Amino acid sequence: MNRYLPLAIVSLAILAFATLLLVIVPGMQIAADGVAPGLKPYTAAEARGRAVYVSMGCLYCHSQQPRDEAQAPDGERGWGRASVAGDYAYDAPHQLGTMRTGPDLMNIGDRLPSQDWQLTHLYQPRAISNWSIMPAYPFLFTHKDKAGPTDVVVKLPPAYAPKTGVIVANQDALDLVSYLQGMKHDYAPPGDGLRDNGYAQIDARQMPQTDAAKAAQ
Amino acid sequence: MSKKNKQDPRLPDETFEPYEEPRLIPLPVYWIAIALAIWGVVTLVQTSNAGHFADKERAALGEKTASVASPAASTAAPDTGAGKALFADNCSSCHGDAGEGVADAIPPLHASDVIKAGGASAISQIVMRGIGGPLIVDKANYDGEMPSFSSVLSDTEIAAIADYVATDLNGMNSTVSPDQVAEIRTASEDMDPWDGGAGLASLINGLPPQPASENASAPSPEATATASLASQGTANIWSCASCHGDKGEGTQTVPRLAGLAPAYLAKQLHDFSKGTRISDSMAYVAKSLSETQITELANYYGAMSSPSGAQPALKGDLARGEQLALSGDYSKNVPACFTCHGTSGIGVGAQFPGLAAQQPAYIAHQLAMWAGGARHNSPLGLMAGIGKALSDEDRRAVADYLASLPPAAGNAKTALAVSPTLKETTNVQ
Ligand code: HEC
Ligand code: HEC
Ligand code: HEC
Ligand code: HEC
Repeated sequence: MNRYLPLAIVSLAILAFATLLLVIVPGMQIAADGVAPGLKPYTAAEARGRAVYVSMGCLYCHSQQPRDEAQAPDGERGWGRASVAGDYAYDAPHQLGTMRTGPDLMNIGDRLPSQDWQLTHLYQPRAISNWSIMPAYPFLFTHKDKAGPTDVVVKLPPAYAPKTGVIVANQDALDLVSYLQGMKHDYAPPGDGLRDNGYAQIDARQMPQTDAAKAAQ
Repeated sequence: MSKKNKQDPRLPDETFEPYEEPRLIPLPVYWIAIALAIWGVVTLVQTSNAGHFADKERAALGEKTASVASPAASTAAPDTGAGKALFADNCSSCHGDAGEGVADAIPPLHASDVIKAGGASAISQIVMRGIGGPLIVDKANYDGEMPSFSSVLSDTEIAAIADYVATDLNGMNSTVSPDQVAEIRTASEDMDPWDGGAGLASLINGLPPQPASENASAPSPEATATASLASQGTANIWSCASCHGDKGEGTQTVPRLAGLAPAYLAKQLHDFSKGTRISDSMAYVAKSLSETQITELANYYGAMSSPSGAQPALKGDLARGEQLALSGDYSKNVPACFTCHGTSGIGVGAQFPGLAAQQPAYIAHQLAMWAGGARHNSPLGLMAGIGKALSDEDRRAVADYLASLPPAAGNAKTALAVSPTLKETTNVQ
């Protein structure tokens, strides 16, 4: 080992090349794509709720990237259309996630728009689905004897309701629910949106074999 | 240094610093490298149009959904052949290919004395709001329901259809412009369907005598309590509107409830609470409702008329969906959906729910659940076989097609009696 300099230069060059192709070029591509038309920036409450979402690590169990009809039945599950890069324009850091222990949440505001449902579910998922393995977040709520005029009371079945008094939502829980309610990417995606193209081309080649094409003949 | 190296004949001396002689790379390695490079470039060129292809596909979809999403927005000039094609797509399934109607069930559109008196503008009014209740056309009595097309047809399209019906089918010299239709749209916002002939009498001068209205009486005091249950919920039930929407129009996998038969809605709520239909959220809701509340909520949503909140969203093939809905697919043993679910999917009686303007994700999801056995509450297992026979593409196709149809109007006449003895429910065609 006596050629340290060339070795160091070559390994740095490889690293630089990889950074260029895997980070810089895609970064430029995405930046050029811009905000998806129809996407609204987060409101103050939604932005605070997003911070709660990040800090609670919801990402470890929930993805935010529905896939194309050709790849998975995400649309039929009510998870919404396949996302495009522009949908994440206001997300830093993004919460794409890879694990689907629970359902995808990219369009949860469209599928479960109910604030009441979300609060009950965050307080105790087992109150709704007894098989749920999602953790409960009781520390986002306060047990009070009597609800104040501005308090949002959580609706609970008798089995999970406190013996006396009421459970009210803390600001963090309300913000988190605003964020979830705002997760609606139901506008039409830009036609040239940057995204995974699924099996578009393979689909086109196989078109003659699909039921639909057969029926059309 | 290993022992092996020491014994290497090329290394006679321990102090010798090992080095490698420059050796030529064997030729085959070059060939392989060149072949790989060529392969790479060829694949790159071959697939570089994949992106463009998908873009085109999406752009086409975007146009399709955009035109459905904002029917009022399109302002293109009507073209003459369009009226006939639109009539075939939207009206002929009920009124017949030439507007001949169906005896005793659906009034004719050619040589109709209602149209003769009202002209193209009256047709636009009827198409915009829908009509239901006793009606006399050409001396024959009818008492049916026609859905409102306001949420699925644009002003231009309604004008084209009205012109076609007035001039081609009735030989009249009467037309209506998209701008006039736009005025009708604004004026009839949030209005209930025309109340049969009695309702039309206020619209059309010189209408032949019409039967009296049979409209239900004013809302009872319980109705306001039910409305508040639906919109506010109770101490332990979430409000229905928070998921099903203020107008019962549904969203994604949450179904449209407005205009479904009360007996059907009540059956589903019972099935949820008994566990014969599975949905955790709805089981929670239904178990906390009393028998009276279930009946009243069913009547409340059954009488509700609201515009469509659905549009095709699953990239389904609409032509295939239409085929399945209207004529089925006998090669797969799938009967036409409309034989049971009613013409245009507006539902039949207490057993066969309306599907028109239902949320596409909900329809596809339910069909998949029937196929998999997770939903198994249809009488005689009618839907399970159908769910299994449909492929994934077919489910999306038929769901998207049904989402593009106009919603059935609410009907207070089918309301269930609130007392435990349920009144016989009469159904409409
Ligand atoms: C241990 C994994 C796990 C974590 C962490 C987790 N969840 Fe869940 N989540 C689940 C599972 C499993 C379900 C499905 C069962 C249910 O509805 O409770 C679910 C369901 C949900 C649903 C309902 C989705 C639907 O379509 O029915 C929402 C909303 C949700 N989670 C939000 C959150 C939020 C917000 C956080 C962070 C505060 C979070 N989850 C953290 C596992 C998790
Ligand atoms: C779901 C079936 C259905 C569809 C689809 C439908 N109609 Fe009707 N239509 C009816 C029924 C039923 C009546 C009678 C209503 C009553 O009895 O009050 C009616 C009544 C009418 C009338 C008034 C009576 C007459 O014959 O002059 C007109 C005009 C009319 N329809 C036009 C149309 C047009 C135009 C379309 C297409 C955009 C259309 N209809 C689509 C079922 C339908
Ligand atoms: C948390 C959201 C939520 C709330 C609140 C809710 N629903 Fe539902 N409802 C659903 C979902 C989701 C389904 C579809 C269930 C399935 O997938 O089978 C449904 C299905 C139904 C159905 C079956 C409809 C059909 O076409 O088969 C009826 C009836 C119904 N709900 C009535 C009500 C009533 C009445 C209330 C208020 C007391 C209510 N729902 C409150 C989410 C909700
Ligand atoms: C043989 C009669 C029959 C035919 C044909 C039929 N259905 Fe049904 N369908 C039913 C019955 C009965 C129900 C009500 C099930 C219940 O009571 O829970 C139903 C319910 C449904 C529902 C659930 C509606 C809701 O609001 O939850 C969907 C979706 C549906 N059918 C789709 C279809 C489609 C799509 C087709 C055509 C491919 C079709 N059906 C053909 C009898 C039929």
